[in-house]
Amino acid sequence: MSWIPFKIGQPKKQIVPKTVERDFEREYGKLQQLEEQTKRLQKDMRKSTDADLAMSKSAVKISLDLLSNPLCEQDQDFLNMVTALDTAMKRMDAFNQEKVNQIQKTVIEPLKKFGSVFPSLNMAVKRREQALQDYRRLQAKVEKYEEKEKTGPVLAKLHQAREELRPVRDDFEAKNKQLLDEMPRFYNSRLDYFQPSFESLIRAQVVYYSEMHKIFGDLTQQLDQPGCPDEQRERENEARLSELRALSIVADD
Amino acid sequence: MTSHGDDALSSRTGAPGGDDRLSEDRSLLQQRLAVRELLDTEVSYLHVLQLCASDIRSRLQQLPQGDLDVLFSNIDDIIKVNSRLLHDLQETASREEEQVQLIGNTFLEFQEELEQVYKVYCASYEQALLLVETYRKEPELQREIQGIIEAVLPQAGPSGLSFLLVIPLQRITKYPLLLQKILENTLPDASAYAVLQRATSALQDVVTNINEYKRRKEVASKYTKVEPLSLRERLARINTHTLSKKTTRLSQLLKQEAGLVPRTEDKEFDDLEEKFHWVSLCVTELKSNVAAYLDNLEAFLRFRPQDYNLEIPGGPVVQYCYLARDLQLQAFPEFKQQLEAQVWQPLCSLAKALAGPQNLIKKRLDKLLDFERVEEKLLEVGSMTYEEEAARHTYQALNSLLVAELPQFNQLAMRWLSQILCAFVTLQRDLAKQVLQRAEDSLAQLPHHHLSEPAFRKLVEDALGQTSHQLRAFQENFEKVLPPPTTQPLLPGAERQVQALLSRYGPGKLYQVTSNISGAGTLDLTLPRGHIVALLQNKDTKGNSSRWLVDTGGHRGYVPAGKLEVYHVVPTEEELRGQARPHKDSQHQTPEPTSAPVPSVPTVTQVVAVYPFVARSSHEVSLQAGQWVTVLEAHDKKGNPEWSLVEVNGQRGYVPSSFLARAPSPAPWGWSLPS
Repeated sequence: MSWIPFKIGQPKKQIVPKTVERDFEREYGKLQQLEEQTKRLQKDMRKSTDADLAMSKSAVKISLDLLSNPLCEQDQDFLNMVTALDTAMKRMDAFNQEKVNQIQKTVIEPLKKFGSVFPSLNMAVKRREQALQDYRRLQAKVEKYEEKEKTGPVLAKLHQAREELRPVRDDFEAKNKQLLDEMPRFYNSRLDYFQPSFESLIRAQVVYYSEMHKIFGDLTQQLDQPGCPDEQRERENEARLSELRALSIVADD
Repeated sequence: MTSHGDDALSSRTGAPGGDDRLSEDRSLLQQRLAVRELLDTEVSYLHVLQLCASDIRSRLQQLPQGDLDVLFSNIDDIIKVNSRLLHDLQETASREEEQVQLIGNTFLEFQEELEQVYKVYCASYEQALLLVETYRKEPELQREIQGIIEAVLPQAGPSGLSFLLVIPLQRITKYPLLLQKILENTLPDASAYAVLQRATSALQDVVTNINEYKRRKEVASKYTKVEPLSLRERLARINTHTLSKKTTRLSQLLKQEAGLVPRTEDKEFDDLEEKFHWVSLCVTELKSNVAAYLDNLEAFLRFRPQDYNLEIPGGPVVQYCYLARDLQLQAFPEFKQQLEAQVWQPLCSLAKALAGPQNLIKKRLDKLLDFERVEEKLLEVGSMTYEEEAARHTYQALNSLLVAELPQFNQLAMRWLSQILCAFVTLQRDLAKQVLQRAEDSLAQLPHHHLSEPAFRKLVEDALGQTSHQLRAFQENFEKVLPPPTTQPLLPGAERQVQALLSRYGPGKLYQVTSNISGAGTLDLTLPRGHIVALLQNKDTKGNSSRWLVDTGGHRGYVPAGKLEVYHVVPTEEELRGQARPHKDSQHQTPEPTSAPVPSVPTVTQVVAVYPFVARSSHEVSLQAGQWVTVLEAHDKKGNPEWSLVEVNGQRGYVPSSFLARAPSPAPWGWSLPS
């Protein structure tokens, strides 16, 4: 005997209470938000560190090109200054690389790991949804038979339907419970998870900038040019420009 | 002074043979007159200058300050120098004997200053004249200016302003002539003569130098500018003249390259040029490197990881967000701004200043080729045209200008470059200080700030290791796939069929149909979803492995393999089953005798009659659908499982087994209907 094709209807009974559904939506919603934010944070952190490295490299290029200019051979003072500058830049670049490595290890990698849990979560949610659909469908079927006149064939089909429904319902309940338990736990784990990373991030900055301060502080001493306020520097630059312009060979514009 | 002259004149009439003395006296008189002229003219000159500088200039209100600066240039400096000169010259008046010598000395002392101060004035004179021309074109303005000048200096005449402005030029060129006049009337053996002679030539040099200076300035301003010309404009400039110039230069260059003509080697210039070239290279490279650095800084500042919200209310995460925001809004933009003002802008100005010398050097080379050709011609022919003479002069002017000023340029540029680099370094230090201050504040509020860096790193490593485990646990939890619900339950009566197949073929060979199969060919089966079959062969006679040969328990045939799923036997009251006899297709409802002996297991169960049945003999009993019956024996007297002995409504009889269904019976085991 072949099955009578059966329309998939909606069950009359609300099989999943509204509060439960709402709770689920809320918890899952929070996690979806978190997923988005961690993904973008990771991307931005990576791009930021790349830009940081690029900046450092271009600083090194400044001193490298100066050093390769033949003027260095002629002018001892210039050579000394440029050599000192080059040393400083190279050291800073090394420290910068170390800083970036530390950030990579303690911030970006953990972010990535955190993010890798989400696909599994999303799959589990999908499976629950699928189970819910099946549950709904079979529940509707049972209800349909329950409403009909209790003839033999109907009873047989009802019995059939109930047999089918039972395991599907159990499956859904199990999945639902598991997720309702695990989702908040996972969400809360972010608190403890990220604090060490960001602490590490701050500390890495302190380490780097302490070195930078020391190195460039020493260099300014060595170059024997006292730091002067901005207006004075501006005046200096104006003076240098006028000196040049005073020469006939310099065009006036 | 005149008394001497009078004495000389009066003594003349007296003594005979006084001709020599006569001319001597006359010379002396002339000398005295010349000296007088010098001083008197100086006095009136200075007077006029002062009137110009104060009265006239201050009344020319309608002209903008910039214009006044050009017109009157450094007239104040001239007044200062000339005042002192006049003062010193007047002092010499008291020392009659040595006056001439003192005058000579005075001029020698003032030589340098006069040159410096007048060359500036002369250099801007051309421009001043241009301005005067423009004023002349405006009648209203011209009238006003004229009015003012006439009020102060009526002797200026109708050409007022230009008359006044040329006065300093006239004066400086006059000095050599005035001194010459005194010199002519001085005895060659007088001690004053040598001094005066030196003074005269000195002042002559001053005039020459001023002219040279003026010429260099003109040449410089002609050639330092590079006008951005479009191709069309460039083409328009080509005419026979320029073409011939260029071809001549080219041929000269080629001759040099071929060694036919000696190249003018000028080591001094070449060294200067080389150094200038390196300075330019340094500046342009530095400029482009700083530009790249600034671009990277800008890119770095575009990323704002602190803007993302993890909904973490406190602790290091929040600390970091504050810190990052602070840095991005204050410390870094300030740094960038200062870099632009103190490093980038100056570099741009310095780079721009390179253009002038670069053009002049290029032009000099061109002119040099011209010059060399002219020199050649001069050797061959002994004369040159006016144009050739001009070319020669231009080259010489350019060359001397560059030789004089390039070293200064190089030095100034290097000095500025060093300052710019120092600024760069200082700014880096200041940035570090700013960031460090803020970061250390944040650090102080972190939980582990007291730990040393290595200790902290170890701590973080451990913490991350732990949380990594935790995350893996979460992931595994989410990935745990609970066993899927059991596959579709069986058709009524199918359980026995399953048992039959199971005992015949074994559990590994059972499959369940997952969706309705409609057979097409004669050997294909039509089976409903849920039906259980046993696999006989997993391919057909042609070797097609997607068409399987199966046994339904009654029929054999082919079914598509894709619609079969491995069937796991779910034990449901298996102890009640014992039949191993293959079960015919349940479509057949008439009982058929079978020959195979079947061990009968006595069963007493409650079942529901699924279909109505009309008894056709006294052995049979009628059923109504949905009726509860008690199964006494699940087979007939011959052991055929297709018939069951049941009791219903007090009656006993046989009914087709397939009309009965197992239903969850509320009655405990052994319950039976009252007979």
